[in-house]
Amino acid sequence: MGVNQEQVPSAGPQEAAPTGPEPGETPSRRSKIDPSVLRKYAVFFVLLGLIVLFSIANPQFLTVRNLTNIVTQNTYFVIVAIGLAFVLISGGIDLSVGYQMSLVGVIMAMMMTEWGLPVWVALLTALILGTILGLINGTIVTRIRTFPLIVTLATAVIFQGISYMVSQARTFRNYPESFQAITKTRLLGIPLDVYLAVFIVIVASVIFYQTKWGTRVVALGGNEEALRLSGVNTRRLKTLVYTTCGFFTAIATIVMVSKANSMQSSFGPGTEFTALTAAIVGGVSFLGGEGNIPALVAGVFVLAVLGNGMQLAGWSTYAQFIVRGIILLGAVAFDEYQKNARLKTKAR
Amino acid sequence: MADDYIVELKGISKRFGGIHALKDVDLELRRGEIMGIVGDNGAGKSTLMKILSGAYVADEGEIWVNGKKARIHNPQDSADLGIGMIYQDLALFNNFDVAKNIFVGRERTRGPFHLFLDKKGMYEKAEDLIRELKVDIKNPRQSVLTMSGGQRQMVACARAIAFESKILIMDEPTAALGVTEANKLLGLIRNLADNGLSILLITQRIPDILAIADRVFVLKGGMRQGVLKVGEVTLDDVVTLIIRGKDKETAQPADVQYKSFG
Repeated sequence: MGVNQEQVPSAGPQEAAPTGPEPGETPSRRSKIDPSVLRKYAVFFVLLGLIVLFSIANPQFLTVRNLTNIVTQNTYFVIVAIGLAFVLISGGIDLSVGYQMSLVGVIMAMMMTEWGLPVWVALLTALILGTILGLINGTIVTRIRTFPLIVTLATAVIFQGISYMVSQARTFRNYPESFQAITKTRLLGIPLDVYLAVFIVIVASVIFYQTKWGTRVVALGGNEEALRLSGVNTRRLKTLVYTTCGFFTAIATIVMVSKANSMQSSFGPGTEFTALTAAIVGGVSFLGGEGNIPALVAGVFVLAVLGNGMQLAGWSTYAQFIVRGIILLGAVAFDEYQKNARLKTKAR
Repeated sequence: MADDYIVELKGISKRFGGIHALKDVDLELRRGEIMGIVGDNGAGKSTLMKILSGAYVADEGEIWVNGKKARIHNPQDSADLGIGMIYQDLALFNNFDVAKNIFVGRERTRGPFHLFLDKKGMYEKAEDLIRELKVDIKNPRQSVLTMSGGQRQMVACARAIAFESKILIMDEPTAALGVTEANKLLGLIRNLADNGLSILLITQRIPDILAIADRVFVLKGGMRQGVLKVGEVTLDDVVTLIIRGKDKETAQPADVQYKSFG
């Protein structure tokens, strides 16, 4: 962080050296493992380790059917996690994604099951509504200029309230064939939503690594004031980040409802926790400015594999909650440890 | 030469609540010169420069750039006029490497609708800049997080040059540097001016100014105390003007004003 820069005794060491060779180079050469590399790949090793562990522990784990299940049950988590990653990398947070899903899902479900509207109208409405919910979050965060944690906690409760008022706590079933087809159709034996998730992963990666906008989102998480002084409208950028998250969340909602072939207001809430944990496990810094998409996807599957493995081992849902909480704490601790390690490297 | 001013500030005033930070300040910067901006803590140096860079907006006064009256209401306006400011707290992105730091906010793009980043072009241009500035940064892919204060200043300079700034404002660039690094940076700044950049240099280190600047602008209590020509004055002359002001009458109220800044 910028603050630490002042504390570094920059003059001391290199004045002692007569030739004054690149002082910035020396520390990175001295430390054997670059912490950022460890951070980048740790999640893949964890995922591999878990797969090996559960394969040994339970013969049912390493079957085509079980692995296929793990993938297809988690496509919508991948999509939400990517939407949330935009916000996290920009230095913000959105706790309301699960409740956006609840509201968007219920309205979309009612359009198809009760109001008899065509599927495409319901889908389009879902995407527009999701985008608007994100826009609302972004607008409030940038206007009030307070912690997004609190803002989105508040909007989460509001979205949930509206969702229950609209749905009257009912469950909506019997969707048109064409809607179910979104997740039922298979191409070369693979469900359509898996292709969709892969497509979104690719698009998000291109946005982050190959576009001006993506770079600026990362810059926003790194140093908001510096970005503003560079002449970038940070307020508009931030609003757009939350809006993007809302759009991706709406896509995830469509996949979730189609797959479950059922919708009620309690579907969705909780997703924010899984997506957040997956993002942090996948190396997205809680403080923003860092993260990569492949690791994020691996993070989603660390949680998925763990859940599946525990289920096969006969653990109760409640025990799984405890494990998930511990994982989030562990991931945040690891994140913090990485930062300190790097700052120590710098200070030396 | 005498009237070839690239920047003219006329009657700039700025208040922060009850504090009168700048009072009717005039400043004229010539093309290709280095002007040192000196004054005690709270004299208004940074405030004046931030008005030119668009970080603050003046309450009163006019800004003229290249002989035309300019409207500077935000950093973008200032950048569009070719004014670049390197901030004291170094507005760098610690999560980025050298090249990305240089180009944030003015990225090079390619492809249909300029959709994609021209990464190759940016890294090549960054390498050129590093070579041009003769700075000891090995690789544009090096992270700025692990760099020394001097190297970070050089990245900030490279950034200003990549933005094609014609006027460069530097806020205490040598403050956190060791002697060797500070001298290197001062050499670089002189080089930039010799290549046609006009530079406003805020500093507390008067010897720095006497070493590389052409003129010194002295502020005290938010008021202009005078402009001295380097080569015609001594260190003592500058220090005296900073502390005492141009005359006792104005110095007295200014002293009171100064104290209120803390």
